[in-house]
Amino acid sequence: MGVLLSVQSLVTQFSTSSGIVRAVDGVSWDVDEGETVALVGESGCGKSVTALSIMRLVAQPAGRIVSGHVVFKGRDLLTLSEEEMRRVRGREIGMIFQEPMTSLNPVLTVGRQLTEGLEIHLAMRQTDARARAVELLGMVGFSDPARRLTQYPHQFSGGMRQRIVIAMALACNPPLVLADEPTTALDVTIQAQILELMKALSRRLGVAMLIITHNLGVVARYADRVNVMYAGRIVERASARELYRNPRHPYTLGLLRSVPRLDEPRRARLQPIEGQPPDLTRLPTGCSFRPRCAFRVEYCATEEPPLREVPDATHVSACWEAERVGSSNGGPRNGPPSPPALGSTSAQPGRSSRHGE
Amino acid sequence: MTKYVVKRLLLMIPTLVGVAVLVFFLMRVVPGDVVELRFAGESSFASKENLDKERARLGLDKPLWKQFVDWMGGIARLDFGVSMWTGAPIIEEIRLRFALSLQLAIMSTLIAVLLAIPLGVLAALKQDTWVDYAVRIFSIAGLATPSFWLGIVFILMLLIVFKWLPPMVYTPFWVNPVQNLAQLIWPALAVGYRYSAVAMRMTRSAMLEVLREDYIRTARAKGLWEKLILSRHALKNAMLPVLTVIALEFAFLMGGLVVTEQVFNLNGLGLLFVESVAHRDYTLTQALVLLVAAVFIFVNFLVELAYAWIDPRIKFR
Ligand SMILES: Nc1ncnc2c1ncn2[C@@H]1O[C@H](COP(=O)(O)OP(=O)(O)OP(=O)(O)O)[C@@H](O)[C@H]1O
Ligand SMILES: [Mg+2]
Repeated sequence: MGVLLSVQSLVTQFSTSSGIVRAVDGVSWDVDEGETVALVGESGCGKSVTALSIMRLVAQPAGRIVSGHVVFKGRDLLTLSEEEMRRVRGREIGMIFQEPMTSLNPVLTVGRQLTEGLEIHLAMRQTDARARAVELLGMVGFSDPARRLTQYPHQFSGGMRQRIVIAMALACNPPLVLADEPTTALDVTIQAQILELMKALSRRLGVAMLIITHNLGVVARYADRVNVMYAGRIVERASARELYRNPRHPYTLGLLRSVPRLDEPRRARLQPIEGQPPDLTRLPTGCSFRPRCAFRVEYCATEEPPLREVPDATHVSACWEAERVGSSNGGPRNGPPSPPALGSTSAQPGRSSRHGE
Repeated sequence: MTKYVVKRLLLMIPTLVGVAVLVFFLMRVVPGDVVELRFAGESSFASKENLDKERARLGLDKPLWKQFVDWMGGIARLDFGVSMWTGAPIIEEIRLRFALSLQLAIMSTLIAVLLAIPLGVLAALKQDTWVDYAVRIFSIAGLATPSFWLGIVFILMLLIVFKWLPPMVYTPFWVNPVQNLAQLIWPALAVGYRYSAVAMRMTRSAMLEVLREDYIRTARAKGLWEKLILSRHALKNAMLPVLTVIALEFAFLMGGLVVTEQVFNLNGLGLLFVESVAHRDYTLTQALVLLVAAVFIFVNFLVELAYAWIDPRIKFR
């Protein structure tokens, strides 16, 4: 399948009173048609800014896309006029936001908010747009869509609102949907429902998805490929399966150790990554993960590790010591990996007590 | 909905009774009364007896509670009595002046709104550019300029440039609209400009706040036209706080335009208010306070209706 979206050396910065925030600092990754790609990383590492840069919705005037390319269906979105870009938003790329309680307009009916995109992008008449809206709400699991259209957002729960936002993102049948932490604000049980819905819809409609998350459980179940982001850079990329079996960046290793896993003893301690992510206005020279890294060697302080292929694996890592990280982890694991639990509270004790390997 | 409106209107009554009690007793705390003031110049001639007789004629000799009950009884029958100073029925004293003040307040508010909302939105959209600064300076200047002074400037300009003076005698709108507007448009402009400042700043800040909301970003991500995002998604939300400011200002304009009225030779409520207090014209002052309070409460009620109409989260209870 062909490449649908290709982000190349994207740099986005914010000028603030305390200096230039290098929120996205030269990242590159692709999404193939129909593929689900994850972007994972701690809070503040630049995930949202990456997605907003693709949509060219970075907060003006502080935020600025400094350089790079966002090639979508062969066109560089960064070179489009504002009007051309408007036609891409919603029509070609749908977007789902983190906070369903605030991402819908409180004074407009759900119907109005669903149909406006259809009327503008597909030049639908009101009745047709309404019919399509009914269909969309049905698709995301509402049992009485026609009645729901006349209601206002405050009449829905968080999970239901997120379904509406998903319906809105899918309204014009875009080939790509960017989902920025679509379930972070929801209850664990609802999270699973929403993610299952998104997975089912993306399969059925053949939509490619970028799922942004800091939850590795989400990645394991729903993504084909994973990009791990740290301090504005991509530090590791692999297929989801490979990443769990054989992480090759100390940061990824740390992330994996900080979430409960179904394939490890229940009593194994969860270890949060020590230290804080760096200040994006003053990135250290060399590797920005070095201060928190257990594998650091002398030249990490001076030489910035490039993203390069790991010799014995089919993935890339930006670590000088990638091989040592691999062996410390006991090498590639055997057998199919069991994904970690969705949320830290959802680990199923019965199944997780499969002692040792 | 109807039930809600009726309930709200009925709830106005206790508030007004409270206002009535307050103004009745406050007026009587002020030293001096209408009889003393009227005959002050000739007090040496007016005997104590005559003063008492005059007080008895006006009912000021009765115990306070009796006076209050009589007055409230009258109001219940919509009989506000006669002015203690002029002896004319209160309704007659107030009628034309109320019409004038109401019209001036409405016109000024309209002008203020027409200035404030477009300028406020513009300033918000062009935040921190010269457009924003220009709009803000224009509105600050309005706030810093007393309307009576601006009124004088208007009159002088009309006189010097056009050799024309606006009519100086009030003609009710229903008698001669042209004459009426020719007179009132100038004070309305002067007052409206001044009062647009607060509403303008409120529009600007509310708009800036709304434009940062998540749902505006959602609307952008849907690929809507910027104009539609403004008119459909932002403006409606931003109008809520502005509405409150405008309503408060409107209520204030009903009774607070003393100097402007003088400059334009308008016989509005403002001047009447000042005079009635100066004369200790109890009946007139009380009626005026009640009237302005009623307008105030009613306008607030309209604002509440508007809120509920704009924002579906607000329920009629
Ligand atoms: N409008 C802005 N002005 C200044 N700095 C910003 C702005 N938006 C984001 N940043 C900075 O950019 C960096 C990346 O932010 P971003 O929102 O992309 O993080 P994130 O990875 O999405 O985190 P989270 O998991 O909390 O959503 C942060 O350090 C943040 O402070
Ligand atoms: Mg984010």
